[in-house]
Amino acid sequence: MKSQLEFRANSAHLLLTLTDSEFTMKPAPFDYLTPQTLGEAVALLERFDNEGEDAKIIAGGQSLMPMLAMRIARPKVLIDLRRIAGLDYIREEAGVIAIGAMASKRSAEESDLIRNSQPLFHAATSLVGHRQIRNRGSVGGSFAHSDPASEYPAVALVLDMQMKAVGPGGERLIPADEFFVTYMTTSLEASEILTEVRMPVLPAGTGWAIQEFARRNGDLALAGVALSLRIEGGVCRQVRMAAFGVNPTAVRLPAGEAALEGQAPDAAAFARAAAAAAAALEEPMSCIHAPGEYRRHLVKTLAERCLVEAAGRAR
Amino acid sequence: MTTKQRINLHVNGKAYERDVEPRLTLADFLRHELHLGGTHVGCEHGICGVCTVLIDGRSARSCLTLAVQVDGAQVTTVEGLRNRQTGQLHPIQQAFVDAHGLQCGFCTPGFLMTTLELLGENPDPSTEEIKEALGGNLCRCTGYESILASVRLAAERMRAGG
Amino acid sequence: MAIEIPKLPEHMHSGATRFIGRDVKRVEDPALVSGTVEFIDNLDIPGMLHCAILRSPHPHARVLKVDTSAAEALEGVAAVLTGEDARRWSNPAYTAPEGWGAYCVAVDKVRFVGEPVAAVAAENRYIAEDALELIRVEYELLPPLATPQAAMAPGAPVLFEAHDSNVVQSRVYNWGEVDRLFAEADHVVSNSFRWNRVGANPTETFGCICQWDLAENSLTVHGAYQTPRFWVAARAMALNLPSNKVRIVSHPMGGSFGGKGGPRGTDISALLSRKSEGRPVKYIEDRMEYLIAGFSQSWDRHYEASLAVKADGTVTGFKVRLIDDQGAGTEGWGTISVAKPLAAFTGPYRIEAARYDTVLVATNRAPSGAYRGYGPPPHFLVLESLMDMTARKLAIDPAELRRRNYLRPEQFPYTTPAGNEYDSGNYEAVLDKLLAMADYRGLREEQSRARAAGRLIGIGVASTVEPGVFDWNAYATVGVPGIGVPEGVKLAFDVFGNLTVVVGFTLQGQGQYTVAAQIAADYWGMDFNAVKVTTAATDVTPPHFGPGGSRLGVAIAGAVLGASQKLEDLFCCVVAHVMQTQPDQVELMDGRLRLKQNPAVGMSVAEVAGLMLSRADLLPPGVEPCPEATYVWTAPNRTMPDEEGRCRSYLTAANATHLVMLEIDRETGRTDILKYFIVDDCGTRLNPGNLEGQLQGALAQGVGAALYEEYVYSDDAQPLVTTYVDYLIPTIHEIPMAKKDFVVTPSPFTPLGAKGCGEGAMHTTPAVIHCAVNDALAPLGLEIRETPASPRRLWQLLHQAK
Repeated sequence: MKSQLEFRANSAHLLLTLTDSEFTMKPAPFDYLTPQTLGEAVALLERFDNEGEDAKIIAGGQSLMPMLAMRIARPKVLIDLRRIAGLDYIREEAGVIAIGAMASKRSAEESDLIRNSQPLFHAATSLVGHRQIRNRGSVGGSFAHSDPASEYPAVALVLDMQMKAVGPGGERLIPADEFFVTYMTTSLEASEILTEVRMPVLPAGTGWAIQEFARRNGDLALAGVALSLRIEGGVCRQVRMAAFGVNPTAVRLPAGEAALEGQAPDAAAFARAAAAAAAALEEPMSCIHAPGEYRRHLVKTLAERCLVEAAGRAR
Repeated sequence: MTTKQRINLHVNGKAYERDVEPRLTLADFLRHELHLGGTHVGCEHGICGVCTVLIDGRSARSCLTLAVQVDGAQVTTVEGLRNRQTGQLHPIQQAFVDAHGLQCGFCTPGFLMTTLELLGENPDPSTEEIKEALGGNLCRCTGYESILASVRLAAERMRAGG
Repeated sequence: MAIEIPKLPEHMHSGATRFIGRDVKRVEDPALVSGTVEFIDNLDIPGMLHCAILRSPHPHARVLKVDTSAAEALEGVAAVLTGEDARRWSNPAYTAPEGWGAYCVAVDKVRFVGEPVAAVAAENRYIAEDALELIRVEYELLPPLATPQAAMAPGAPVLFEAHDSNVVQSRVYNWGEVDRLFAEADHVVSNSFRWNRVGANPTETFGCICQWDLAENSLTVHGAYQTPRFWVAARAMALNLPSNKVRIVSHPMGGSFGGKGGPRGTDISALLSRKSEGRPVKYIEDRMEYLIAGFSQSWDRHYEASLAVKADGTVTGFKVRLIDDQGAGTEGWGTISVAKPLAAFTGPYRIEAARYDTVLVATNRAPSGAYRGYGPPPHFLVLESLMDMTARKLAIDPAELRRRNYLRPEQFPYTTPAGNEYDSGNYEAVLDKLLAMADYRGLREEQSRARAAGRLIGIGVASTVEPGVFDWNAYATVGVPGIGVPEGVKLAFDVFGNLTVVVGFTLQGQGQYTVAAQIAADYWGMDFNAVKVTTAATDVTPPHFGPGGSRLGVAIAGAVLGASQKLEDLFCCVVAHVMQTQPDQVELMDGRLRLKQNPAVGMSVAEVAGLMLSRADLLPPGVEPCPEATYVWTAPNRTMPDEEGRCRSYLTAANATHLVMLEIDRETGRTDILKYFIVDDCGTRLNPGNLEGQLQGALAQGVGAALYEEYVYSDDAQPLVTTYVDYLIPTIHEIPMAKKDFVVTPSPFTPLGAKGCGEGAMHTTPAVIHCAVNDALAPLGLEIRETPASPRRLWQLLHQAK
């Protein structure tokens, strides 16, 4: 029998590519638990993992719900983190911005701290879906979900973000370049829960930009670029570029960074760096809206435009 | 079938206590358990915005929310807009009527609820701000021009104390 | 007494019009904004079950075995329906041409992905979907035919075994001396075009509740039906029921835009009810079902077309070869969309002769259905693109080329080469108004400057004709019989003189209840809000069709006016009897029946109605105590088609010219619409607000078809667009806010001079956008001839050019 895996494989939305279920729009049955503490939640995950039962964490549920409705995700148990107090903060801790995993994207969008101190993360947040999605969707959920078309993983790579995970063995910090593994897969262990994401305050004078290409406003990106750079002594320094929507995870663009490092911030240098970044990309994904080569070209175009925008912001 | 769970919530200010299956969406709960049929569903996978309601004052897609997730919450639906005693339309509803902001009316409750949130936060939104707010609500009848005009009219009247 | 329906609002004799033509508030809206309207999924009937449908994952396969035992054993499941039940209790769908329909549940084989294979009725939808997962189906895969070319290839497997090929119909229409005109032409402009599938996508999917009365052997259906009587006849034929034992109660619809009515969903729910001992069964199509199998897909077309042109730009001949992919049979009535262009084949132009060479082919894509415009929108994209290609070739301004070829006002009524008669028009006035409003010259100058700066800016100007007020004869050539499309209303005054207008259709978005109320209120001198408009079930309403083919505004005006006049005549008789005079001495004016000679003497409408219902002793002999009248309107003077399909079919020919300015991003292929202008002429504008809404909505759907929407299939006929993630309905960000104006040339043939205009901009917008895209690409020597002009396609075109 031909699975829906095959006939949804060309969707812009990779969530919808992973099924062999029938056509449904109502979730399969599951149990629903609301632990009161993180410890309780971790213990539940550990127990179900030991029993070989599929337990899934739900936060805002904005990505998970369509997968449940189409029965692409069929967990035995949903563990909702909403009763665990104190996971929705947004605060600064000695030059680091810490966002509790349950903070909504809307609260990040409305946070003056983020707007002023980490404008790249702020701009990325505003690009996520539509306001109804940002109201319900958690910041942490987008990281844990690891959708390659999502803006956050690329920003995490640019900003060297760290993810705080809590598991049976305690707490650990995972750097962004080790966190995102592939489609919908992170390096979180089965019994670990993402509790916080951490990013530095953007140093004053840093130029930044994020741009994406989607068919309609608010759609998942077919390709996107996020980057930051500094201009020191008339040349570009500390260039950090990442692309999303093109490979199984967001990826750094080291060839582009290298091409620009130490170069004067002019149009020719930006074009060279963007071309180098795009050329070095691993073969991009294809879908009905965008074949691989088109995506590669989009990365080049967006990188070039982002560089112009970022240079305009750098002081 | 799984064990039902008890939930307590307020919808349009009225308290409800119900036992529901965990997999029941908020949209289905409102429509088929509480018989509040004004919240329509258009796609059930989070794209069209037809099912928009307010949860604790914030717009949300009720198809992307489980009923068990709103235990303890305040939910507002289109049925909560009209004046309960007099039946008088809310200024936003009246503006949609006056400025022809609807045709078939199926997507309208979603637009009304998104507009309610928008104007609560921003009484004088610019055209771009209105578009940004309504970008997640699809309408297949109107082409949006009259919807935009309706929101502007509602904002104007609400600012004037209407 | 003959009914004479006023041809203009100023001919209304019973007082000055206060509502017709005014921007009144719609009677539909207070309930719609309150969330209290009974859309079908808001209705629950005690004892009701819920249906879910198991659908084929294969485009072409034999169904060897369906094992439903586990599903039947699931708690909460009442019945499971299979192809065996369908074979026993029902017939394949009736189609035109005949013999290209299937049973509601697959019998023996499946022909498209999403075709129903079994169905479940259970206590709720969640359980019904659980049960689907327990049904086991064994298939033997057959080669999928993804394109008409594959389906027509020698040795291709036959989809419908009753036929010896997959060609549903192959027919060439010749109108005039086409070959001579092409031979004599100074230029022949030819090209090929590809229009990919798009579709209606109302925000509400189809839904119904069916209840089979086992004692009476009758069926009651509540549901979302655009044309309920049409579906009654089809259900009776499919379900082996007498047609007077099928009753449809049509509920308000969350949009339709063609074809809403879910025949398979209805028949499946009906048979599940029959199998569940008569319990009501609700079926609500979900969005994925709609996208894959809900007749949501229209117009899958491969065109080759040519214009014969003289040196001065006069177009003399038009040839079109169309290969149309109908999908897996014609149960969705997709064939009509090939026939409908006959009604306006040569658009607004004075083209002498034409040829239409059509091949309709069955493939393993979903059966195609009706969508706003029902055929002409792709046809006009072809014609208007060729006009622009001609303009470029002859170096004539595209607006000027159109002007030279327009029909002149004095040519109306005009019989086109394809046989239909256009009622009226003034195309040049429309163009002039548009060019002035848009400052066309200024835009062209702006374009030159932008081009010099390297930007890809394009301007399009396109003119089309909208066939309005359809008649069945337009579709005779694909096997649809008959002439006359009835639209009936009943006007009923009660004992207190309150008026109810009973119509046969229900709310769908166009505001036709409001139009009925406007006309009745003006006729009877009543307050607009005092008129109640309501619908009734198919078994009690007068003959009707409902919305479709841009007809209902005109038709409902005719029906209300006709019924009003009948009732007025009756009231005059009654008043004359009471006043001891002759009926011709009594007149209706401003809501009173009064004596012509002594206007101060008379009775109010309410007094007459009250008298008729409570003082039978005062009625003239032979007059019944019934202040009610029914009138059924249909378009006059329609004719039987000749051997080339020529006939008077659509009654009106509204027209519009659009102008768009857009920019293509060279690097991303994205098109942004910068400016959009519309001038149209649909005769008398009965309700300007309704019209504005129709125009905006059709523009939005046209933008979708031109740039965003597409049902994509893989090479092995798998649908690749199955959710709203990939079927791209434009949002508020993608739709331009157009500047609009209008010209009024009343139709000489219709009630109040109105012309059908509901499909509106859908005819023009895709064409004008493609003209503008190609205008933007022209300096590069590039051309796109496939819809939609998506970023990917434009990028590939630009990229290959490098």
